[in-house]
Amino acid sequence: MRTFRGGLLIGLAIATAIAVMAITYERYDTKTLKRTLRRDAVLCGVNAGVPGFSNSDEKGNWSGFDVDFCRAVAAAIFDDPAKVKFVPLESDERFKELQSRKVDILARNSTWSMSRETNYNLYFPAVAYYDGEGFMVRTSRKADSALDLGDTKICVQDSTTTKLNLADYFKANNLKYEEIKFGKLEDMLRAYDEAKCDVLTADVSHLYALRLRLTKPNESFILPDVISKEPLAPVVRQRDDDWMMIIKWTLYAMINAEELGVTSKNIDEAMKSKKPDVMRLVGTDGQYGEGLGLTKDWAARIVRHVGNYGEVYDRNIGSDSRLKIPRGLNQLWNAGGIMYAPPLR
Amino acid sequence: MTRFRHLTLAVAAMGSLMLSATLGFAQQFDGDQPGLVADDSFQLDPEYRKQVVLYRTSEPPGTIIIQTAERHLYLIQGNGRAIRYGIGVGRAGFQWQGILNITRKAEWPDWTPPPEMIARQPYLPRFMAGGPGNPLGARAMYLGTTVYRIHGTNQPDTIGTAISSGCFRLVNADVIDLYDRIPVGTRVIVRQKPKL
Repeated sequence: MRTFRGGLLIGLAIATAIAVMAITYERYDTKTLKRTLRRDAVLCGVNAGVPGFSNSDEKGNWSGFDVDFCRAVAAAIFDDPAKVKFVPLESDERFKELQSRKVDILARNSTWSMSRETNYNLYFPAVAYYDGEGFMVRTSRKADSALDLGDTKICVQDSTTTKLNLADYFKANNLKYEEIKFGKLEDMLRAYDEAKCDVLTADVSHLYALRLRLTKPNESFILPDVISKEPLAPVVRQRDDDWMMIIKWTLYAMINAEELGVTSKNIDEAMKSKKPDVMRLVGTDGQYGEGLGLTKDWAARIVRHVGNYGEVYDRNIGSDSRLKIPRGLNQLWNAGGIMYAPPLR
Repeated sequence: MTRFRHLTLAVAAMGSLMLSATLGFAQQFDGDQPGLVADDSFQLDPEYRKQVVLYRTSEPPGTIIIQTAERHLYLIQGNGRAIRYGIGVGRAGFQWQGILNITRKAEWPDWTPPPEMIARQPYLPRFMAGGPGNPLGARAMYLGTTVYRIHGTNQPDTIGTAISSGCFRLVNADVIDLYDRIPVGTRVIVRQKPKL
């Protein structure tokens, strides 16, 4: 009897300890900002190498569109865009590593989809880049639209959604095409370069990078059509709403800054502006940063150190980069695109 | 007669080319180089080459939208696309925005710099007949009753810059292409970067 009671007590004690630990772990997960401040660095999961989006040089300096987003978060929190630890992640491990807290943000060209949010308990706060499937063709073809691509040979990677989208699109538009499938990206690119197909299809952001690797990049171009939805977004864990808010509004601050004409070059002038919406953005009016657990000038810090959305776009993937991807869908909503941020108000 | 006119033009162009070359070394130009004959082999930066792009707008097809900060002119095609041309725009202090209509179109237009322009740049000619050395280039489209135009250029290397007195310039091949696509009456929307 005594041994039974003793065993029960020990068992209870162990169970309680485990429960306490589990609760602490769970509760602790809503403290990402606190942990980030203590660590003095943002933990950011990135792709090991995608031209324009995320790359590191031989000295280990990271640069790119995705990389700059994490720098913007660091600028908002620490007023120092260098306080980021970049963790290169493979595509199959990225969500697991985010869940197991190896990183606190995933800025790794990940497509936002429903199952990724529900199955992995993740949250995609806002779209950073609207990607989608497009077509590269030779300039000699004189095509203006994807609808001009009937009766062509199209190079596509096998067992991808790209291939399925292609089939759907051509069927819906009553167009015939000959599919030439490849397992490897390299083989597909070589086949196109050797003119074994007339068209190459992939996500638009990839097409611009692939084009640069052709023997004669100037003799091919990318059609403006986008036939699928691949909204690329940063990712965070569910449960920590405060952290999610910081990530979401960092992106929205960058988009709003572009819309208001606030840039890294004129930020000092903007701090003196008397325009109400500029004043709210840079923190000379209201307490918007405090609402995020940050300082008044959180958004000004982002723009000063990293730039507004357009600056980051142009520098890494747009007109000032090698890729030169036109803004397209990623242009602001009032300038031909669909990039739209709720107001900072 | 036309042959004779071309000869006169060529001589005038040569003359002013020499003059502008001398002036060019002597002072920083405000932009216009009357007499300079456009170098047709000049390659535009890919960003400023004519191309069809995605452009969503509620403006009807046929409308021209000029986004000065971007240095792009869009001719709306409908169905979410536009033809995009690279342009040169007004320098600081010569930037304006609004909606106007094309009121007149001219091939190889003559150039009569307005008095305010002469006052700023006294070395400019009072009148210059249309032709390859004319800063207005191959075509001009007149905007409302203003002194502003969408025109060609004899300086293709100024596309992408803010150098003009408020006009919008395209390379001659592009301005000819645009000219042939739009009628008098076309609506032109000029947009600027927001002010702080």
